Amino acid sequence: MTESPAHRAGPDESADLLEVEGLTVTFPTTRGPVDVVRDNTFTLRNNETLGIVGESGSGKSMTALAVMGLLPRGARTSGSIRFRGTELLGRPDAELRRLRGNAMSMVFQDPLSSLNPYYTVGLQIAEVYRCHRGGSRRAARRMAIDALGRVGIPDPAERVDRYPHQFSGGQRQRIMIAMALICEPALLIADEPTTALDVTVQSQILELLAELKRQTGTGMLFITHDLAVIATIAQRVLVMRDGEQLEYADTERVFSAPRHPYTRMLLESIPRIDDELAAPGVVSPTARPARPTDPAPAQEEVR
Amino acid sequence: MATTTLHEAQPSLPSPPTGAAPPGGTARRVLRELRRDIGAVLSTAFLVLIVLMALFAPLIGTLAGHGPDTFDSAAVDKDLGGLPKGSLGGISGDHWLGVEPQNGRDILVRIAYGARISMLIAVSATLLTTVIGVVLGLLAGFYGRWVDQVISRLMDFLMAFPALIFMIAVLSALPAGNRPVLLVIVLSVFGWPYLARVVRGQTLTLTGREFVEAARASGAGSRALIFAEILPNLRSTIIVMTTLAVPGYIGTEAGLSFLGVGVTPPTASWGQMIANSVSWYQVDPMYFVIPGAFLFGTVLALTVVGDRLRHALDAGEAS
Amino acid sequence: MLRYVAGRLSWVLVILLAVCVFTYVIFFQLSPDPAVMICGKTCTPERIDTIRTSLGLDRPFLQQLGDFLRGIVAGRDYGSGANLVHCPAPCLGYSFQSGQSVWEMVLERLPVSVTVAVGAAVLWLLGGVTIGLLSGVKEGTWWDRSTMALALGGSSIPPYVLALALQYLLVVKWQVLPFPAAIPFGDDPVAWFQSYLMPWIVLAIGYACLYARMTRANVIDTLAENFMRTARAKGLGPVLILRRHALRPALTPIVTIFGMDFAGLLGGALITETVFGLNGVGKMASDAIAKNDQPVIMAVTLLAAFFVVIGNVVVDLLYTALDPRVRTTAS
Repeated sequence: MTESPAHRAGPDESADLLEVEGLTVTFPTTRGPVDVVRDNTFTLRNNETLGIVGESGSGKSMTALAVMGLLPRGARTSGSIRFRGTELLGRPDAELRRLRGNAMSMVFQDPLSSLNPYYTVGLQIAEVYRCHRGGSRRAARRMAIDALGRVGIPDPAERVDRYPHQFSGGQRQRIMIAMALICEPALLIADEPTTALDVTVQSQILELLAELKRQTGTGMLFITHDLAVIATIAQRVLVMRDGEQLEYADTERVFSAPRHPYTRMLLESIPRIDDELAAPGVVSPTARPARPTDPAPAQEEVR
Repeated sequence: MATTTLHEAQPSLPSPPTGAAPPGGTARRVLRELRRDIGAVLSTAFLVLIVLMALFAPLIGTLAGHGPDTFDSAAVDKDLGGLPKGSLGGISGDHWLGVEPQNGRDILVRIAYGARISMLIAVSATLLTTVIGVVLGLLAGFYGRWVDQVISRLMDFLMAFPALIFMIAVLSALPAGNRPVLLVIVLSVFGWPYLARVVRGQTLTLTGREFVEAARASGAGSRALIFAEILPNLRSTIIVMTTLAVPGYIGTEAGLSFLGVGVTPPTASWGQMIANSVSWYQVDPMYFVIPGAFLFGTVLALTVVGDRLRHALDAGEAS
Repeated sequence: MLRYVAGRLSWVLVILLAVCVFTYVIFFQLSPDPAVMICGKTCTPERIDTIRTSLGLDRPFLQQLGDFLRGIVAGRDYGSGANLVHCPAPCLGYSFQSGQSVWEMVLERLPVSVTVAVGAAVLWLLGGVTIGLLSGVKEGTWWDRSTMALALGGSSIPPYVLALALQYLLVVKWQVLPFPAAIPFGDDPVAWFQSYLMPWIVLAIGYACLYARMTRANVIDTLAENFMRTARAKGLGPVLILRRHALRPALTPIVTIFGMDFAGLLGGALITETVFGLNGVGKMASDAIAKNDQPVIMAVTLLAAFFVVIGNVVVDLLYTALDPRVRTTAS
């Protein structure tokens, strides 16, 4: 793991995008405080995608929420989270708010419940832009239409005034992505963005994320319980269990020579499609997970 | 107002616990949780007191030395139009909660007898409502189609009915007969849809669940499905809704008696006592304060217990 | 959409018809003979017969019911020849007690009931919803716990006990308010306000407590929604998050329940009006019940059912306007 020099204040171009050191998240419970994340340390470089893998309850989502400053009330954090060289822990919420949705943004697991059912998707995308960049309602709306087009929503100028329930599951996640990327953030955190979706739609969304990342150079923290997904999208992998970091290395290394027995177990549970190419228990990082041919996004039916 | 406060309070209050069956040991956990809650403990203590008063009303009468209808002219002041002698509505060593103006009947004894009739009516109405509500709700939810159509339309109809006005009108039109029984019937007729609606909804969800489908696939008959799979899962909903129905019925019964169409004299009832006190409230406020306090306390205690019970059951299901 | 509205309206008619028939059967069949009641103590069998004929009571039951229903829609005639009385639509008959047209009686008293209902509704909405919102946002604080304890208590007070207690304290003991009386607004606005204040409070308290608890529960549920987390992740300020993203989902269900409760009150706040002696529809109902004045009882029951059913439809339509998810399925 690369050790970077400590930065005290101000965005620093030479610093890594995200440096997390000794992050511990503690929840008070009736049976005393419980560490849901313990002493987690990792670095995300510019333009890089880091995958965090683990089962539910492994602390991967809590790590992401800690970075965003969105931990539930009552949670305590210690350690250090530096974003572009600036320490985030301990900073007032008003300051973090200026970063959220702007310099760093997040896409969640269940797009339907993550969108407010009472407002049009246009409004929900535009409000992010207006909140951080200001400008007129109309300009923000144009930005929203643009963003919808970029994530592959057909006929965006008309669909911008529809409500979340009028879109398909995959389209909703596209909308979430449009919302997250409208301010061109330096860091995108995707928390199980494909878990709630059908298999065919999953791969479309992964492809979209990869494509947008190529275009914008955004650094990405990709959280999933599915190692197979990591193989297609991340350069490095961090494996977590019970709040602890088990393994942290290049994706290739993790897949070819997993050090921790748990990682080996996870790898063995991946359904293998081409045993000929990969040694038993190993999936080549370049091999895509099983998926049928992608239908064009336009074919996703409007519900 | 009463029409709706009395009646609408029932549908809006209990948002029933949703979800799976409470596993064994729930009862013990819920009891433990309730014991820790000071409000629930105090309420239960008060309710135990009321129930004891109701059960042993004749004994209280014997101990106090007054029947519920014994006049005591010595306790009231004829020169002051029959006001109770002494302060605070005639509270004394002889009459612990004072006496009624004019005739000097002992308020404590009448409260005890009133608790009797109040509890009897409310509990009977609750039992009847529960039986009708659960049976019809289950039928509608389980069989669907025309059974559901018929029952649901009936519920819509009853819930659109101006229940209080109608109850009053029916009770005043019907021959005197056995008032408490009439009250129980009328309360239940308009009360069951609120439980049935919830039971129907939950049955509908449960019927679609995997474990019910599995039981059906393994050849379980309708009766077995209902009694072994669905009913146990409705238990906490039914418990909570029933607990919260009792205070509603106590309030409605007292309201009807207050309006003069409920329990009729000479049977003592709280609502009736409060109605009688209306013409005296300026000079003898204790006459309405005491039955009012008992009525308020009982309704509140039952509501608190029901509310805490729901919390305890909800919390159990969430974990 | 049009089909939907038409469907709802025909449902209204069915319910009202059912209420009509049900009420008619119960009152006109079960209770004592109206002709005897009208005739009074000094009565001959011939006179009873005359009254019977003029009221149409000698006719078969179904025909009577038909006459009654037709009267509501098209008006009807009572008696014949020189004694003929035309009752214009909507004809609800004549009071057995005063001989006054029941429809006119209703029209006379409705404003009082509406005043009581509107005033109370304003109070309980402002009070209950505000307290509920604050308690929901500040869940678990001393403010939340104390207001919710009060709300539990407040919803347990029988309205007539509260009415007596308030009347004793405010009017008799401290003398800050006059005895309630239905004073028209035009006569003396201040006296009007004072005279209605107690009924409003008594009526509002039970509802306010209920609404405070419902609003709080809705707010807590809404704040736990995933889209609230999204709103925070977007970097929106806390005020904007609450105002835009929490308020509408939390309050929409309240609107529907409010519609039903308010509609229920338009048919007369029976106990409150009776206790305070306000001459509204509710008081008219309780007077009519005491004197077994069947046409009036019928009218009040129908009126109340009418408001409830119409309220139901209005709430449904309102809901489609407020909740986009319902809107698109309905149209």
